[in-house]
This record gives sequence, structure tokens and C-alpha cells, in this order.
Amino acid sequence: MTNTSSPEVRKDGNPFGSHRVLEPKGGLPQPAQRLDNSMDYLYDNEILVDVDTLNIDSASFTQIKAEAGGDEEKIKAKILAIVAERGKMQNPVTGSGGMFFGHVAALGPALAGKTDLKPGDKIASLVSLSLTPLKIEQIFGLKAGTEQVSVQAKAILFESGIYAKIPADIPEKLALAILDVAGAPAQTAKLVRPNQVVAIIGAGGKSGLLCAYEASKIAGVAGIVVGLEYSKEACDKVKEFGFCDHVIQANATDALDCHAKLLAATGGKLADVVINCVNIPNTEMASILMCAHEGTVYFFSMATSFTKAALGAEGVGKDIVMLVGNGYTRHHAETTLNILRESPVIRAAYEKLYA
Amino acid sequence: MPTQTQVEIKANGNPFGSHRVLEPKGVLPQPAQRVDNNMDYIYDNELLLEVETLNIDSASFTQIKKECGNDEEKIKAMITKIVGERGKMQNPVTGSGGMFRGKVLKIGPKLAGKIDLKEGDKIASLVSLSLTPLKIEKILGIKPGTEQVNVVAKAIIFESGIYAKLPTDMPETLALAVLDVAGAPAQTAKLVRPGNTVVIIGAAGKSGVLCAYEARKRAGIMGKVIGITSSDSGLAKMKEQGFCHESFKLSATDALECYETIRKVTGGKMADVIINCVNIPNTEMASILMCRDGGIVYFFTMATSFTKAALGAEGVGKDVDMIIGNGYCKDHAEITLNLLRESKQLRDIYEKQYA
Repeated sequence: MTNTSSPEVRKDGNPFGSHRVLEPKGGLPQPAQRLDNSMDYLYDNEILVDVDTLNIDSASFTQIKAEAGGDEEKIKAKILAIVAERGKMQNPVTGSGGMFFGHVAALGPALAGKTDLKPGDKIASLVSLSLTPLKIEQIFGLKAGTEQVSVQAKAILFESGIYAKIPADIPEKLALAILDVAGAPAQTAKLVRPNQVVAIIGAGGKSGLLCAYEASKIAGVAGIVVGLEYSKEACDKVKEFGFCDHVIQANATDALDCHAKLLAATGGKLADVVINCVNIPNTEMASILMCAHEGTVYFFSMATSFTKAALGAEGVGKDIVMLVGNGYTRHHAETTLNILRESPVIRAAYEKLYA
Repeated sequence: MPTQTQVEIKANGNPFGSHRVLEPKGVLPQPAQRVDNNMDYIYDNELLLEVETLNIDSASFTQIKKECGNDEEKIKAMITKIVGERGKMQNPVTGSGGMFRGKVLKIGPKLAGKIDLKEGDKIASLVSLSLTPLKIEKILGIKPGTEQVNVVAKAIIFESGIYAKLPTDMPETLALAVLDVAGAPAQTAKLVRPGNTVVIIGAAGKSGVLCAYEARKRAGIMGKVIGITSSDSGLAKMKEQGFCHESFKLSATDALECYETIRKVTGGKMADVIINCVNIPNTEMASILMCRDGGIVYFFTMATSFTKAALGAEGVGKDVDMIIGNGYCKDHAEITLNLLRESKQLRDIYEKQYA
């Protein structure tokens, strides 16, 4: 743990952190050009964190790596330059951030009794680095083959910010890997009802696997969970996990083929809930066509186009509820971490593939 | 009525119209480059229509007008050219279409007993021209000051397509104006529960005013409807209409000011349902911040960014359901046309401003 001397406490912090916005004034931290990252003082509703590791968002890291020609020193310099200029690790090209983990250094007095944290607790931030005030003292190095950067740094979590305590029975790396997609299974648990037909696009992927697990648990024996994957290998993986009643090999950009294959697999039933977990464009129509009238489509994929979904449903006259994937839902971290305790299959898969 | 000649009937039409797609093969009609607009035959699940008026989508019409230097003959030629090349009136620059009105000429035999139409019925199409096979024989003229093009033409509506029978108790122009935004009030009716606090962004606009009326009806005497508009004239209109309990002039791009205002007026409880009806970008955060945890945000606006909504809610740790506005929901045309019968005030507003 680094320096724990108490910082000066200031009053009247805004819950969303707009008090740290320097440019342009009056906005929220995410769209801001520059944040106040002074760690010499803390607003009374902020949490000061000693950061150990930055987990740079994949799009951002790829862009920085390409620009630096893969040179580690140049990557480090680029990260330092961005944070120095903006007061946060928000890639100016991709706009994206990432997450971090560290230890609680100090809690603003206005949060007393409102949070379950105490200084020294190990936490992972679940809000984006793109809105998190950050000050880097030193970069120790990049973990080869990952997007993880070991640092000596400090960060601020705002009152509305979300985080997860890292439990003692789950290794840090494993916890981080699964927390990255914590919203998906928690939302699945909220959407699926017993005996429903659920279609999961990308059921073999990092988030799809967790959604399939939750869906099969809640839909129960009379429900039908159908997993879609693009490649034969991924389909085999889904079969091996065993959470889906049917596995379909299909291209999610081919709406008609997905529709026909789903009907064939379920004996003519469309899905009450469709969960889209694939990060490729043009999968809106397959999601819509596979959904039953008055069913729900959940778009977790950041590649979703709002207008393609809205006009697409109208174009085929489908009365369905289409939800924008919200990375946050109440208790999502606890719900998702608990899957690792519940299911040895998922724990093994995550240990092998992602941690 | 022109030609009433026999048309040949072909079998095995796809419900979504993919049988009319010429290029690229196997896709749906909306993303298709070119559809088959041969009207000498129909498939057994199609409707053949005699088109009287095309209502070109506003973005498309503006683009065409500009490219043609506002010359009516050039505009006509360009419309003829687009339809000649693509088999549908889908602007290649904007990608958008519009709607049409006309008369039923022929009903595919497989639809018999499934629909409430008969030959000769006057209807408005509620699916986009961007996916509708269209053949123009002649353009008669453009109605000045509107996006309406009078034509001699034929069109096909697919089995999954939606339409509304034009009512006999109101002028066609009035019915068309309100049908253009039919999804909004019908969805509002489904979302708002008695006692709810509802915020409508753009409550003085074409769809917003219908939503405000419907929300007030559904929220009942224990509910509260709050209208937001960005202009003085909108505020005056809203107060005169009287559908909202509270009216505010606020910029929906200023998330913090919107949040503060709603926080004060609701005593910190925030709103149960937010309905966003303004077609300007960057209003996602205001919508999210005004909503209570566990509430619903409905984005009708096509200017919504999927990623801004998804990452925005996560960034401020808000557990809200964000719904992508679906232009279609069951019986939306009937529900919305009926508003004009129910409320003389709404009918007057629509006659004066939009018909």
C-alpha cells in the first residue's frame, strides 16, 4: 500500500462527480475533456483508492499498441501522456477507458454508514476509467498478453460510482475477468421466467456462457435454452458446458437462417427472451426475428445500432421490448461472483480461458 | 382506378419479403440493394396496392431537395431514378424511406381470413418505404410545403408488414399526421401505471403531446406528468395544452440541470418513467439521471446513441430499464387514431399544426 496520509476534505461534492470537471465546465465526467485529478484533497462523498492495476479497455489498448508499434516503453509513455493531459485514462481516439483494481485509501466522511467499505479493502472499480480521476506516479510494467498495466497510482470513485469488493475465496484475476461482464448474467436472471424459451447469441463467449448458465437455472426443466454460435469449435464448447438444450451453428448477421434454425430446434417456438452477446455489427435483425410477439430482446452487444433495431422491429411488425444493455444492475457483482462458487464448470472454464 | 387486370399468383412467399430481394440474395428487404418490383405477379401472402401518395421521409426529402437545388422536375426525376434502380424508394444517402397511402387492389389468397382488409379499402402503410417494393408509372406532382408526392404507382406489402385502414370520420391528412407517430402514445399507454411520475422530454412536440395526454390518463389522479421543452414557445404551448402537471423549459442536453429540476419537484424521488421524444443528440444522460433506480427510460428519438445510453447508465450506477423505441406495437394505429376522437383538444392541435 502506498502513502496513506489523510488528504484535506472538501465539501459539496456532486454525486456524479461534476465537481471534478475542469473542461468544459458544468458537464459530467465522462464527456469531459479534462478532470481535476489532484489527490491532495478529497471531497466528502468521494472514495480515494490506491490503484495497483489498470485494466485498459480492449479497443483502447489495441489502438495504443498499434500507434506505439507494439513498443512497451512507448505504450507506457502514451498512457502517461493521456492521463497527464486529461486527468483520466480515456483514450482520445476510442473514447473508452477500462477498469482498475486497488485498495481503499480513504473514505469521504459523507459516505459514513452508506458504504460497506473500510480503508484497506481490496476492490475492483466497475465504472469506466473514462470518467475516473486518476493520477499515475509510476508504471511498473505491462503484463504480457493482457491489457493489464501494473502501476503506482491513485484514483477517485464518485458517490454514484460502482465497485465490487474482491472476495477472499476468489483469486483476483479470476474475479476481475468475471466482473468485467457482471451485468450480463445478472440481467439475464431478472429477465428470464420459468418455462420460457431463451435464445442466447454468442452462448460460448465470455458473457454468453454466464447468461446460458443463469437462463438454464431460471427457465428450469420445462424451459428451453438455445445457444447460437458461429463456429463449429464454439458450438462444441457450448455443448460441452451443457447449459443449453439446443446448440445452433449460425451466422448472427443472417437473420433468416437464425430464424429458421431456431424454429427447427424448438419445434416451431420463437424465444420469449433473446440475449445478444456478440460484439459484431448487423445482428439486430436476427435478434428481432427470433423473438416471439411481446417477448424481450436484450442487447448486451456494444455493436448494436439503435436505429437498426428500432426500424428493424417496425419493418417486420414485431411488438417486442428491446432493451439497451445496462452494464449495471443492482447486486450484479455479488450475483456474478457467486456463479463461480455455484458452478465448477464455469469456474474451470474461466480459469482456463480468461484468468 | 387504373388497371384492374388479373395478376398471376406465385406460391411460397416469405413472411418478411425476402423472396422479393434481388441483390444481395438471402437478405431482408430493408438492407437489400435492389428488390423485385414486378407487379405483374404477386406472391400468395402479399398485398398489392394502388399508391396515391408517397410521404417521403423528412431526412430523405431534405437531401433530395438539396441535391436537386429545389427544382421540382429534378426532384421528380431523382425519385423516379432511385425507384428505377432499387425497386423501392430508399434514399441511397440517408438510407431512409417514408410511408404511403393508397387502395387495396389485390389480396394474396393465403391472407384470406387472416386480415380485415377487402379490395378497395383505403390504407396507410406503416412500414417504411425503404423495404417496400414500388413501381412508379407517373409522378403527378409534389404538394408544396410538404414531403408528399402524388403518384400513379403500385406497391407490395409483405405478410409481416403493418398498415392502418384510414378511418372515415376524419380527413386523410389528419389521420396520416397522427399515424406517423402512432407508436409513441400506444407505448406510453403500456408503460405508465397509476400513480407514476412521468417525465416527457419534448412534451410540446408532435409525438410528445400525444404521450403527455396518454400519460396523464394512465397515471391518474395520484400521478404526476412533467413536461420538458427547450424553447419559450414550447413552454407556452405546453402550459396552454394543460396535459402536464408541471412544465419546464430545460435543455435536455444539460443532464445536471434536468436532474436538479426533477429532484426538486419530486422531493428527491425522481421519475418512474421517462419518455424521450426529442430528435436531438446527447439527451441520453438527462433521461437516465431523471429516472429513479428501477425505473424505465423509453427512447423514441432516433438520435439516441446505443453506446452513450449503455455506458452512461453504468457510469452513474443507475439500475434502469432502457427501452429502444419500437415504432410498432399491437393495435397502435387504432389506439392512436382514437385519441383524436377522445380529445377534441388534441384534434384541434393536430388540425392546426400538422394536418
